[in-house]
Amino acid sequence: MGVSKETCRNELRTAIRHLTDRCLFAASKWAAEQLVGIEQDPAKYPPSHTRLQRDCSSIRRRFRSTDEITATPVAGTSYVSTPVPEEESEDVDSDFYLLAKMYFNCREYRRAAHVLSDQTGMKALFLRCYALYLAGEKRKEEETIELEGPLGKSDAVNSELVSIERDLAAVRKNGSIDPFGLYLYGLVLKAKGNENLARTVLVESVNTYPWNWSAWLELQSLCTTIDTLNSLKLNNHWMKDFFLACTYHELRMHNESLAKYDYLQATFGCSNYIKAQIAKAQYSLREFELVEAIFEELLRIDPYRIDDMDMYSNVLYAKECFSGLSYLAHQVFMTDKYRPESCCIIGNYYSLKGLHEKSVMYFRRALKLDKKYLSAWTLMGHEYVEMKNTPAAVDAYRRAVDINPCDYRAWYGLGQAYEMMGMPYYALHYFKKSVFLQPGDSRLWIAMAHCYETDQLRMLEEAIKCYRRAANCNDREAIALHKLAKLHSELGQSQEAAFYYKKDLERMEDEEREGPNMVEALMFLAKYCRAQKRFEEAEVYCTRLLDYNGPEKETAKSLLQDIKLAQSGFP
Amino acid sequence: MAGIVKPQSGFVITPHKVSICILLQVYAPSGQLSVPFPFASISQHNRLGLFLIALTKSCDDILEPTLDEFLKLLKEFGGLLDNWLSDHVTTRLSSLSSPDDLFTFFSELRGILAGPETSIIDDDQINLDPNSNLGMYLRRCLLAFNILSFEGMCHLMTNIKTYCKEASSPYEMSHLDDASNDPEAPLEYENMDLENIVLQNFTQELESRKRSAGRVPFHNHSSKALFSLVEDITVSPGQKVKHNHRSQTQTHSPSVESSDVVLQRTNWQIQGYLSEQADMIEKLGSSFPMSAFESVLKVLQKVAPELHRVHFLRYLNSLYHDDYPAALENLHRYFDYSAGMEGSDFVPPLSFVNNGRYEIALLSLGMAHFHFGHPEVALKVLTEAVRVCQMHSDDTCLAYTLTAICNLLSEVGISNITGIMGASDSHVSTSLSVQQQLFVLLRRSLKRADSLKLKRLVASNQLAMAKFDLKHVQRPLLSFGPKASVQLRTCPANVCKNLRLSSQLIHQFDNESSIVTVDGALSTSWLKNQEKPTTTLVFPQESGSERNCDTFYSWLQSSSVPGSVLQLVGSSYLVRATSWELFGSAFLARSNALLFATCFADSSSSADLALAYGKLIQHVAVYKGYQEAFVALRIAEAKFLSVSKSGILTVKLQLLHERALHRGHLKLAQQTCDELGVLASSVAGVDIELKTEASLRRARTLLAANQFSQAASVAHSLFCKCYKFNMHVENATVLLFLAEIHKRSGNGVLGIPYALASLSFCESFNLDLLRAAATLTLAELWLLLGPRHAKRALNLIHSAFPIILGQGGLELQSRAHIAEAKCYLSDSSISVSEDPDIVLDSLRQACEGLEALEYHEMAAEAYYLMAIVLDKSGQMEQREKAAACFKQHITALKNPIKPKDPLVNLL
Repeated sequence: MGVSKETCRNELRTAIRHLTDRCLFAASKWAAEQLVGIEQDPAKYPPSHTRLQRDCSSIRRRFRSTDEITATPVAGTSYVSTPVPEEESEDVDSDFYLLAKMYFNCREYRRAAHVLSDQTGMKALFLRCYALYLAGEKRKEEETIELEGPLGKSDAVNSELVSIERDLAAVRKNGSIDPFGLYLYGLVLKAKGNENLARTVLVESVNTYPWNWSAWLELQSLCTTIDTLNSLKLNNHWMKDFFLACTYHELRMHNESLAKYDYLQATFGCSNYIKAQIAKAQYSLREFELVEAIFEELLRIDPYRIDDMDMYSNVLYAKECFSGLSYLAHQVFMTDKYRPESCCIIGNYYSLKGLHEKSVMYFRRALKLDKKYLSAWTLMGHEYVEMKNTPAAVDAYRRAVDINPCDYRAWYGLGQAYEMMGMPYYALHYFKKSVFLQPGDSRLWIAMAHCYETDQLRMLEEAIKCYRRAANCNDREAIALHKLAKLHSELGQSQEAAFYYKKDLERMEDEEREGPNMVEALMFLAKYCRAQKRFEEAEVYCTRLLDYNGPEKETAKSLLQDIKLAQSGFP
Repeated sequence: MAGIVKPQSGFVITPHKVSICILLQVYAPSGQLSVPFPFASISQHNRLGLFLIALTKSCDDILEPTLDEFLKLLKEFGGLLDNWLSDHVTTRLSSLSSPDDLFTFFSELRGILAGPETSIIDDDQINLDPNSNLGMYLRRCLLAFNILSFEGMCHLMTNIKTYCKEASSPYEMSHLDDASNDPEAPLEYENMDLENIVLQNFTQELESRKRSAGRVPFHNHSSKALFSLVEDITVSPGQKVKHNHRSQTQTHSPSVESSDVVLQRTNWQIQGYLSEQADMIEKLGSSFPMSAFESVLKVLQKVAPELHRVHFLRYLNSLYHDDYPAALENLHRYFDYSAGMEGSDFVPPLSFVNNGRYEIALLSLGMAHFHFGHPEVALKVLTEAVRVCQMHSDDTCLAYTLTAICNLLSEVGISNITGIMGASDSHVSTSLSVQQQLFVLLRRSLKRADSLKLKRLVASNQLAMAKFDLKHVQRPLLSFGPKASVQLRTCPANVCKNLRLSSQLIHQFDNESSIVTVDGALSTSWLKNQEKPTTTLVFPQESGSERNCDTFYSWLQSSSVPGSVLQLVGSSYLVRATSWELFGSAFLARSNALLFATCFADSSSSADLALAYGKLIQHVAVYKGYQEAFVALRIAEAKFLSVSKSGILTVKLQLLHERALHRGHLKLAQQTCDELGVLASSVAGVDIELKTEASLRRARTLLAANQFSQAASVAHSLFCKCYKFNMHVENATVLLFLAEIHKRSGNGVLGIPYALASLSFCESFNLDLLRAAATLTLAELWLLLGPRHAKRALNLIHSAFPIILGQGGLELQSRAHIAEAKCYLSDSSISVSEDPDIVLDSLRQACEGLEALEYHEMAAEAYYLMAIVLDKSGQMEQREKAAACFKQHITALKNPIKPKDPLVNLL
């Protein structure tokens, strides 16, 4: 680590003061979380001090042995030390400023802005603009509901943007703008759709004041491709690592993201934020066990947490853990029932119970609270599929995709819906999209292969290609190998078929699974080896077949006799 | 239009409506005498009333006019009163400063309605009948105001404020943010006039395109007749009819529109606008302004996110501009949102049916792939569409899909389609050839369309049938059992019958017109007419009213036949022209093409039009020579927005190639021929006609360069290709050309079988003109074998003469004359010196024709022969003349002068 824990701590403490002073609560909340997340030296502090930090490394201890993701040590990164800015002399405007701040704290934004209208100084200007911005946002939200028309017209805009932009642009021009002002300016520019300028402004902001996490988040939302990310000119600061980790995750570079977080954990060993982020990345890599363990620990430390808990509910759903899910649903409901995440968790619970109508109702509520809540759209699509209401499902999925065209689950859902309607060729378009976005997911490849394989299409060659991809990327259910073998034998390519049957067999032996697939594989291999005159091998397979009951046993017997005969014929 | 718009959630009160209410109050102030205060006469008063009625008709708006536009409109109507009225409206509006003012305003309004109990007490008093148009409108406004929540009232207040502010101060910004953060083009969407925007950008784009008008020939497929079919079902029949009415009001070029749309704002109108644009895209193809329209669509989407038709338009737009990914993306998006239900009348509304009509999506996707030249994929998709249609027993869509498959099969060369139609044709054994399958399919889809009473589809199927009959010999479908004796010939009578039947369609739409006139569209057009300078329909005493009536009624009349029907009927004339071309009546072909170009030019797509012009120009070239053809070409070019993307380019290249061959510019010929080849898609089976033509021309160029073996090998491979794709009509031409090669190489014996084969092809396909040409070639081949065969050759020539002289082009006629002369010359029984005129006459005619064609090589030959004959008959003076001409042509052939024609600069 390039900087000592103590430096981080000091920087964060100051930052929290600055941020709170400017009412940037989300950022200061984040900073405070990281501050506590820095592991204390237990020798120096009494146990009460580390209450929130106990067992924070238990997970690491538990899983370190199994999957060792070696954090790529960022060798020789020299961090630039950004000087902590001096505060302006505080007593000049402090009385009015204090009043405005209090109004702001009570959410009386316009009042706050009005109090500051005559004040000079960057801090006052920032708070005034910020208050106006929030007032505009609030009004916008209200208008969106008030104005909803028959064609879904909801072009409500934040009416304060223009004046804020004008003020901030003027200040920026004369050079007296501070990093917070830059952040707000970036925010406004982004809302107005001027993304390029917004990006430059935000980069300026984080380079001069790196501890404002909200600015980093805005910057992240403007980095939709790896190229834009690489083109940013950012100073090296430890906050940049947080940013990069988060952005990598959004760009679906999960392993890079995990490496960054692992590296950060050396300093911020107890940060809940980092744990949740690791859980997110692992979830995308489908490491459900690990994710569940992380969330269990998170809930133990921070039982009233709602952020990211919808993902936990997804994991519980996938594991069909009824009681766990219901417990979680209850807990979040008691904490705050009007959070989209809460509604989503409840929806998941009902879905698991098979009560799809109720589940849809809660997803709808989640969407009412947040119209751009991606996973709710997708999950609602799943529910509609369950209810056999495919048009509604298609609609829901499509909305998800239009919000974020990188949501491979929704593309997959669309494909599935169309396949259900007996339009496999049409569905292929969607499956192609989803595998393009998530090429490492065997389920998607299998779904696509299945589509090619349907009676209507029978495009077996393409199906084989897909299954091959699936087999190459960690196919848990081991469908692909069996299918590959079967398709090859269907196409009369017995050599390839034998290869895949053998592989499948090995795998089944490995995982100690039995079943019809095993019999089928043995049968094919026995016959194949017999035809290839590899009698010894054939004998081995036949003898193994004798362990099973049914017609295969008889066939195996006769094959054995055959083999003996053939062997005696050609000594 | 059910299903597009959610049930009107309400008549929302807007500032625009408030200003109408203010005017209403002026019109009918409570308890006043017959002519209330500001009006000078009753007529003035009535005029305002009519204006108000027109305004109230166009409510239910998506976008309403701004105050400025409204005042402008008012000025045009108000006459002397305009200043007073607009002042009144603005002051009244600005006096509404608190919610309570609004409240009082609306309660005052209530006063001008006559209560039900006040029967006519006083004649002089003006009261608004609550059941009249205006009264109803007022009541709706009042109701809408009464159910307004306080928030709603606040919104109304702020809206009125901005409405007034916008009028008084010039624009600062539009509240709609331009997503394409492009600082140079800040579009003021709020007071946008959709079509003006299109138009402006359109002209800009056009200019820029002109500037960059490159020599890059553009690749363009054509399957527009099909596309009208998709439109037909995605847009419901009724609606289609409706919007076609509207499109009638537009003349061919969009530039006429510039002045007359202000109020194109209602839901109906937006729908109509979109349909109209869809028509335009279809008609203009790739010359439609893409980016400009795209930006308009983006705005529309922002304003009305639930109006999914916008996605369809975006799809069409990108489709016709060959933007494959965007087209696919938008197509999928449209059908994901609309589930194929939008705009269809013939299914019950959404609430009853749960499963959507995604088969239409498949049909459209199939057509899109067809358009992009992916026949294999298209066939797969359409097969799936057939299956899904059958699954959901959607007969209508099935009929359309079958027709689409027929079109695909007939237009694209596919040599093998075993099992393509799978379930749909389980009873047809796959041992049948593609053509037979196509035939069966055609008959089935015709029958199906007929039983479903889809008139347009029937017509288009009949057209397809005619095309099929034109080029295919009927064969028995049974592969075993007793065979009825079938003449192996095509049946021109069938072609004619089908063509006639398909153009019957126009009569069936005659009497449907009155039903489909839509109120909204009517009122818009009325308003449009009102805005023209000298207009007032209402007061007959004023000048110009008659003209206005005329335009109004002509609008009604012209819209009696929907555009898609016209398009179909038009294409039937095109097929007629083609069929006459093949059957060998050049003049009937020409007159049909001419008929198409004059009567159907407005309603047909630009590609069709280009085809018709092409036919006409070719005709001119063949019968009048190149000079005139190029003049005609220039006229035609002026009618197309961008030549490089239209079919005119092909015609141009053909002409240039032909002329270069005749003049002996072989390099140029090679170049044009290559250019022509590049126009075709590289996918096998697509653009097959263009490809065959290009390789035939290549072979001809090689022949002109005396590369006999190479020319023969090109022709041979062409023959194989045509045979593979069952293109027998083309085969006849290729065979004839092979005979020609042997003739040129002096190998008469080898040429004769080819000529005979070609003759027999011509006979079974009834290609009379080609047959005459083949006979001529045969005669020339016999002549090549020696003077012994001169008699036989002469007989052959004479047998072909009637058709050649009646229908043949200049070149063919001249060739026949020369051949005849040669026969006479080599015939020992005829002494030329005694009776030179039998030879000289025909030679003279040949010379005239060849001069017009600038065909140096043959002209030289003709003059040479003429000189010899003249020499023999002792007419020395004339002989010298002929010899001089001969020399002139020979030198022209030997050193081709650089052509001065500007058209050549294209290359």
